[in-house]
Amino acid sequence: MSSSSATLAPPVAGPGRVRQFLVTPIGAQLTAIVVFIILWQLVTVIAPRVPGPVSVAQFLWVEISGGSHGGVVTGEFWEHFAHTLRHFSLGLLIGFVPGLLIGVLIGSSRIAQALLNDTVLVLLTLPAFVWAFLTTMWFGVSWQAPVLTVAFASFPFVTINVAQGVRSITPELKNMSRAFDVPRRRQFRHLTLAAVTGYVFAGLRFAIIIGWNGILLSEWFAGQDGVGFRTRYWFDANRYRGFVGWVIVFIVFIIVLDRLILNRLQRRAFRWRDPVETDADQVKLEQVGG
Amino acid sequence: MTDAIAEVTPDREDLKLAQRRSAAGSRRRRYLAVGAGWVGFILLWWAASALVGSEARLPSPPRVLEEIRGILAEDFWNQFWASIVRVFAGFVAAIVIGTPLGFLMGRSRYWGNFLQAPVVVAGSIPGLTYAVLAFVIFGISFWGPVMAVGLISMPYVAINVAEGVHGVNKGLVDMSRAYGRSERQVFKHVVVPSVLPFIFAGVRLSFSLAWKVGTLTEVFGSSKGIGFQIRRNFQLFNMPAVIAWVLLFIVFMLLLERLVLVRMERRLFRWRQWEHDR
Repeated sequence: MSSSSATLAPPVAGPGRVRQFLVTPIGAQLTAIVVFIILWQLVTVIAPRVPGPVSVAQFLWVEISGGSHGGVVTGEFWEHFAHTLRHFSLGLLIGFVPGLLIGVLIGSSRIAQALLNDTVLVLLTLPAFVWAFLTTMWFGVSWQAPVLTVAFASFPFVTINVAQGVRSITPELKNMSRAFDVPRRRQFRHLTLAAVTGYVFAGLRFAIIIGWNGILLSEWFAGQDGVGFRTRYWFDANRYRGFVGWVIVFIVFIIVLDRLILNRLQRRAFRWRDPVETDADQVKLEQVGG
Repeated sequence: MTDAIAEVTPDREDLKLAQRRSAAGSRRRRYLAVGAGWVGFILLWWAASALVGSEARLPSPPRVLEEIRGILAEDFWNQFWASIVRVFAGFVAAIVIGTPLGFLMGRSRYWGNFLQAPVVVAGSIPGLTYAVLAFVIFGISFWGPVMAVGLISMPYVAINVAEGVHGVNKGLVDMSRAYGRSERQVFKHVVVPSVLPFIFAGVRLSFSLAWKVGTLTEVFGSSKGIGFQIRRNFQLFNMPAVIAWVLLFIVFMLLLERLVLVRMERRLFRWRQWEHDR
């Protein structure tokens, strides 16, 4: 980060090692988490209907271990989670492959760009819940609705990112390697692939974030299984701790997948580039808005 | 192509003319291709609708157009206005909360680290969460979408403001101090003008996402607005009306983005443009 950012950092007072640890980046982040949980607990004191962290943790334990929620309702975590994951990955695949192909087309040909760009823009503007509604109206409560919601919602994000990647291949480098008779295979490996991989990853990340929201919505509105369905199940039953528990599950899932796995992979794919530009957040923030 | 022309006619005026002509030619070709893209899109849709053979499942373009006309004649502006007011009120909330957070994150490394995780988490939460949360807290109300839009845009504003604070020209600040300007003056005339466009950039980047989540919130808890209309027609299984409302949503969102936001952006970044021109 910038050199000017230390100006207001609280001075490390006192000899305690704990104190010193608390001002490190990890210490600060841990403090943030603890403060959040304390605030959450405080809210439950003021508004007793809001489920507190302990009761949500208890709920999640019962749900995951398959225990009894009281009465005949038992925990069904893995069934729903696996169900959603299956549909999610199938939908991603269906959205990603055409997105990749059309992205390459748009990136490499000006005519294709002029022809297809507006259509992709329109698709980009469509909220995911619209796909959830449309696919439900087309296919009813079925496996197609969530799968196609993911596919339709993620497709345009893959396309624009891949197109941008193909466009980012520098013509100078290409001309030079041609002039120096670099074999085609090496050109492809070190020029085309190197330039495009990072963007494909960025596209995949969008596809995953957007698709995850899409599948939750689709299952919420018209599902009989899955994470979205189960979240709604507890919501409709007025059992807010179940609702909050599942919300935490699907948020943690997407953050772990996106931040801890994909972000790292993307950084690796972009590692040859200027470190300032490798910041995946930058890519993300630019893209969602566009 | 222009290179060849340049060799035969070294005269600058001629060259400019030729360049302009060829640019106009390629622009015309581009427009043609863009037009062809739209025509192709509509024909494809029409063909698909004919293939499905049911207006209730996949209505044809004329059927949807008829529906759009009906909506525009009826109470579109009312509904649209309701949505816009909420979305922009949400942006105001995002700016009010996000700007101080951004300043804090930009000025202090400790607070930057402290707030990083919450801001990142807030940015990756699926829109469904915000929509349901807003519904739980406010019920069917004006404030639900405002809160959802505010929450979804706030991280973008905060991150951009932090970026803007990092980018404040340190030389300029030092010089102003050297010439005896007060901290307040420095803040008002150096820091604010350089951070202001970043606040706006945050709104602009989150615009499309915020508009979508605002609409989703209307789906859950609202008795007005575009999202509410889409949901109502979904429940009535009125496919032409759903598609008509969705198309209107897209058209007006793109118009707003292009006409209002891009213009505002140009205005706010004017001082930078001026710097560039010199």
